[in-house]
Amino acid sequence: MALEILRPGLMTTVQDEGRTQGYALGMPPSGAMDRFSYHVANALVGNPSGAAVLECTYLGPEIGFSQATTFAVTGADLPVHLNGKEIQPWASHRAEAGDVLGFGFLRSGARAYIAVAGGIDVEPVMGSRSTYTLCGMGGFQGRALRAGDLLPVGADATGTPGRSLPAALVPDFAGPAELRVVVGLASYRVTPDSLAAFFETEWQVTPDANRVGYRYRGGLVEWVPRTQPRGAGSDPANVVDIGYPIGSIQIPGGTEPIALLNDAVTGGGYATIGTIISSDIQVAGQTKTGDVTRFCPVSIDAALGARQEARARLAKAREAIEARS
Amino acid sequence: MTARLGVLTEPPRGTHYTFGGDEWIVVQLSEAMSLDVNLKAQVLTRALAEKALPGIVEICLSNASYMVRIDPDVVRPTVLVEQLRELEAAHSDFRSITLRTRIVDVPVLFEDEWTAATVQRFRDRHQRPDLTDLEFAAELNGYGSTDEFIDAMVSAPALVSMIGFVPTVPWGYQLVPEERQIEVPKYVRPRTFTPERAFAWGGAFSAIYPVDGAGGYQLFGMCPAPIVQPEQSLHDFRESFSFPRPGDLFNYRRIEREEFDEIRARVTEGSFRYRLAELDFTPAEWFARPDETVAAMQELLYGA
Amino acid sequence: MSEEKTVAAPFPGVFYRRPDPESPPFVNVGDVVEAGTVVGLIEVMKMFQEIQAGASGHVTAVLVENEQAVDAGQTLLTVE
Repeated sequence: MALEILRPGLMTTVQDEGRTQGYALGMPPSGAMDRFSYHVANALVGNPSGAAVLECTYLGPEIGFSQATTFAVTGADLPVHLNGKEIQPWASHRAEAGDVLGFGFLRSGARAYIAVAGGIDVEPVMGSRSTYTLCGMGGFQGRALRAGDLLPVGADATGTPGRSLPAALVPDFAGPAELRVVVGLASYRVTPDSLAAFFETEWQVTPDANRVGYRYRGGLVEWVPRTQPRGAGSDPANVVDIGYPIGSIQIPGGTEPIALLNDAVTGGGYATIGTIISSDIQVAGQTKTGDVTRFCPVSIDAALGARQEARARLAKAREAIEARS
Repeated sequence: MTARLGVLTEPPRGTHYTFGGDEWIVVQLSEAMSLDVNLKAQVLTRALAEKALPGIVEICLSNASYMVRIDPDVVRPTVLVEQLRELEAAHSDFRSITLRTRIVDVPVLFEDEWTAATVQRFRDRHQRPDLTDLEFAAELNGYGSTDEFIDAMVSAPALVSMIGFVPTVPWGYQLVPEERQIEVPKYVRPRTFTPERAFAWGGAFSAIYPVDGAGGYQLFGMCPAPIVQPEQSLHDFRESFSFPRPGDLFNYRRIEREEFDEIRARVTEGSFRYRLAELDFTPAEWFARPDETVAAMQELLYGA
Repeated sequence: MSEEKTVAAPFPGVFYRRPDPESPPFVNVGDVVEAGTVVGLIEVMKMFQEIQAGASGHVTAVLVENEQAVDAGQTLLTVE
């Protein structure tokens, strides 16, 4: 069983849950940016949690099925077509050999997920099938897919067509995004007024927004004047090079904040002022260039609460899918 | 807002324990870089790894700090911070703790044709377009010639104080007293290209670029041997795609073109191995007698 | 036949009317295009993607400026 990439879309990569080891050597986790949509896609086709899927950014691919199978599309809101006929997203469908999956233009969100029964069966690297394109590691030949690629799919899995996620549980990606942030790290480098203003600003996602990180525009940040410590460099935005958590927000030059995401650079010399909580990384990953984003400060306890809520929401989705199959 | 969230409004006095969202704890030991603070981070991260506390996913060493990736479903971040504070308190005598590490011969061809071409290509992004990066750095650090400056860079090994940015980049902080530390600024605007295996310096750190890519460090030379090998076919990469390990001592050695080509040939045919020696490094000994300690390490690596 | 057709941005980004600053625009009002004719580029995530006309005709209007930010689905030009 294979998927033939007829058109690759803009940026389509193989992703799973990502790596848990390697950060200490500079290797980011990668993995699906929108965990909820990723897990639901696998649940819909009856894959075990952790199977690899395709993540399609902004522009959907065109894919031919070499054999009959079951597939589902979740994530960003864009029309899904099977042989040119519109079909329901957030639902599992049967494809026959020779069928072609295609997409219309993006309406909201940024990333769609395509799960196929059996999962995308590329060789795992460091315990994951996720693609890390910056260094050409993992996934399918370490890169985004191209026309003509033949993607292996796990054998002897027929899947379960006819499953769907109730509409009430489908996330809405339209409208401004709110990303909860645990303030900290070197936030003391920013003046209190400026830090407060940061959280009141409506930031806009720039075109410079990918799996490594998102750059935003819309405000200014003022640094507390100081004599720079030894080894920190002369710019007030600089610190002695330090590790960057996934989700951390840095502000090079004080003008355009960058939030690091799944393919983050693991460390560097910019002051970071806080970190997007783990359950909101997926919210950031569904914003697209031009979208409005607000950052909202929360306590560590609130972050842990949000983590439980995200887990409960996924569990509820899985139960609903099982109940409707 | 900051008071309500328990966030620092003043620069930290001493170690700063801070949450990176719900999955990370960053421990900033100092705002300033020094050999002392990095050695403390090396000792603490190794001690933490040995403790194998539940809920710790990964431990990441940084220059004047370290970072822990955690599973907050297993351990509450606030509880782990207390455990990290205790760990620090229990290792106040970190300078006398011996680190098992390795000293590695890292050959470098200085003023090579590849980095020279890159240096010329991006001259408009440099603070001194009229000089090469090497000439600029030598002059800035008060050396009379580029040869004397190169001698200083290869005089003592660099402690791998952090690995990352992109996979396997080794940041080296030289084992010389503070007054002999080399420091250079980064490019005014970063380059869009740097050749694979380029030897570079930025701030107080030496670095090797594992693969082609953008970069802002001053470019001085080229290493013949790789530091990353995803296919892991060379002997030194059998355990990991990354050659550098935190705490390694990289002893840069000036080579000529003939040796460079010979090493390249051995890398290509798959027989290359780094020359290295395992050793016990006790920071207190180095602080007491830096030059003698370094000489003994180099003797261990190269033989009498 | 004078049915009006549009070419829309398939995804958000920055629209470029020219392949590079020195070159003339891909298309101007009055030019004849066919399905597949490149009418511009959209840059996003440090990648450039060619935007093609979906049908043949002549260009009646170009609705966005060079280097203007566009949203997904925004009409770039009309063809008749």
